[in-house]
Amino acid sequence: MIVRPRWADFKIIGLYTGKVIIGVGLLMVIPLATSLLFREWNPAIDLLLGIGACLVFGLGLEVLCQTSRDMAWGHGLVVVSFSWFMATILGAIPHYLSGHFGSYLDAMFDVMSGYTTTGLYLLQDLDHVSHGLNMWRHVLTFAGGQGIVVVALTFLFQGTAGAYKIYVGEGKDERLLPNVIQTARVIWLVSLAYLVVGTLFLWIVGMWLGQGPVKALLHGVWIFMSSWSTGGFAPQSYNTIYYHSLLYEVVTIPIFVIGSFNFALHWAVWAGEKKEIYRNIEIISFFTTVAIAMLLAMAGLMKLNVYPDVISLFRKAFYQVASAHTTTGLGTIYSRTFVRQWGTMAMLGIILAMAIGASACSTGGGFKGIRMGIIFKGVIQDVRRLISPESARIVEKWHHLSTRLLDDATVRMAMLIVLSYVGIYALGTVVGVYYGYDLVEAMFDAVSAGSNTGLSCGVVSPTMPTLMKVVYLFEMWAGRLEFMSLFALAGYLVALFRGR
Amino acid sequence: MRMVINHKEESCMLNGRLKCLWLTFAVVIEVFLLTVSGPALGETAVLQIPLNPDYAFPNKDTPHGLEVNSAPLVENASAWNGRTIAFKGEAIGEAMVRGKMAWIHLNDDAYMWKNIEEGAQLGGYNSGHAVWISADLAMKIRYFGDFKHEGDVVNIVGTFHAACPQHGGDMDIHASTLDIVRVGHPVREAFNTSRAIMALFLLAVAFALHRLRAIIRRRHAF
Repeated sequence: MIVRPRWADFKIIGLYTGKVIIGVGLLMVIPLATSLLFREWNPAIDLLLGIGACLVFGLGLEVLCQTSRDMAWGHGLVVVSFSWFMATILGAIPHYLSGHFGSYLDAMFDVMSGYTTTGLYLLQDLDHVSHGLNMWRHVLTFAGGQGIVVVALTFLFQGTAGAYKIYVGEGKDERLLPNVIQTARVIWLVSLAYLVVGTLFLWIVGMWLGQGPVKALLHGVWIFMSSWSTGGFAPQSYNTIYYHSLLYEVVTIPIFVIGSFNFALHWAVWAGEKKEIYRNIEIISFFTTVAIAMLLAMAGLMKLNVYPDVISLFRKAFYQVASAHTTTGLGTIYSRTFVRQWGTMAMLGIILAMAIGASACSTGGGFKGIRMGIIFKGVIQDVRRLISPESARIVEKWHHLSTRLLDDATVRMAMLIVLSYVGIYALGTVVGVYYGYDLVEAMFDAVSAGSNTGLSCGVVSPTMPTLMKVVYLFEMWAGRLEFMSLFALAGYLVALFRGR
Repeated sequence: MRMVINHKEESCMLNGRLKCLWLTFAVVIEVFLLTVSGPALGETAVLQIPLNPDYAFPNKDTPHGLEVNSAPLVENASAWNGRTIAFKGEAIGEAMVRGKMAWIHLNDDAYMWKNIEEGAQLGGYNSGHAVWISADLAMKIRYFGDFKHEGDVVNIVGTFHAACPQHGGDMDIHASTLDIVRVGHPVREAFNTSRAIMALFLLAVAFALHRLRAIIRRRHAF
């Protein structure tokens, strides 16, 4: 029997959604300060409007929905999916008012892309965008990488009751410390520490490459935020091509590779367990699948003889594969180069890398290394079962922070999520093909959206059909939240009409 | 007890070695592909496969080379590779000087003559090309396009590279001349008063709600 949600349930959902939206409004203070610093008055007003709208909505919900009832698991999941949706609508206000978007849907597309650390964009004339809006784009992706609920948990939640339930809803289930609010703060501590160090590196490199100190600093902050969050936004339309520098690539690769690792792994290494790096199933899975994707990409590029020498070939292939596999989306080639020069084989390598994606409980998307490792070990276990005597007890182990026995339930759960990803990849591909795009091109951008990568071969553009924008937006949302929160929201909607 | 611990350590080390072996195997395979089987994989290919063999070159010949814009260069990179071209676009960002040379970026998109801040209609993404040019020539550019500036529109003549051997396979143009077609200018920003009033109104409502929330919370506490 489906139970129809009561007003008391909506009050809980409203109260916590309000808190998250207030958090989003407060985040806009950073780009507002940037705009004021650079005397960009109109972008500053647009951001003030955004802040005002978020605060009115968030505080309004809190006033209407004051309750002292405890949150259940279902509430937590619905809060996450609903607050991400509302944060997208309200976060798009400064985007839309900037005049750089063809419609409000386009602005929402970019904001969802930012929160989900995808990096696809429909913003037009990026090269003339204000520093304030650029800061907002990158703050969105930085906050989205850690999770906007984590932002709210860190700064706006006083009690711990129910906090873990919405924390899990955002696709994270690792508790680094016993208290989930402390865990959220640790995630921010780790990220901010890396932000300072990474920005410093990029700032120095930028100046060495010929950028002015102010521009080098801004680009350093933005590229760090984008890389660390595996976002893929960049301040210029040329993306990372703009810097024409091996050194810049060498600095950004470790940032997005480290950013794509599990927060729990970061914490374990910070706590002195350095061996975890070599033993963790996700790290082994990551390096193995990177090697396979590199093989495919390089074989394709070598067959077509695209690059003049091996060094260039390796440099281009490795950057795109690493960016795709960590679901970052920064690129050192033009979008259409994938189609016009790289060819189908190399594109398949990139598609594979994007589909698999980063680590669980990280800033990245995709199937996740841990699930690939578990499924691979599950297959090995089944093969061993097949070739062993019936009485034999086959035990397979996997290591993630601790060594565990592999059971069927774990494999089944991993398979369920992987199949859900395959489903959204297929949905995007089918819609793309329906609108007349080439199969591989449609698949490339659909996988990119679903895995929150952000590389594009030219399908995503402001002129693409509205339905495709909606489907890609949904893919980004579902892929980032790893489905469970969306299933819960859908369940709530069904219960509203069919429950008793 | 001691034996168990030793056994665990040994098994852990063995596990680590196996993983190292596996990673080494992957690297060896890639090196093998690069050095040994590379020519075999590429033996049927010609240099830069012409993905669009029917491509027709434009007729806009200038005294220095074929005039072309950015889209055909990316779409038919192999056909244009090594040709001398004339390219016109708005300088954006900044000149990044590297010794006696510099990188500049020229956009030939819908915002080349007028950007959105000045009232241009939306016309899609930016598009343009990276240009490697002598620093002296790059210094002739007065304004680079950004939020507060419409950049100089310049004309350059140079050689197009689909995958430049000097710059790690980047697609670029090595320019030998640069002429200013139009000097850029600062963009005047008209202050939007109605939006400012709206923003202040929303903030006032938010403040009132904040006070109201405090009152309601106090009531709930009792």
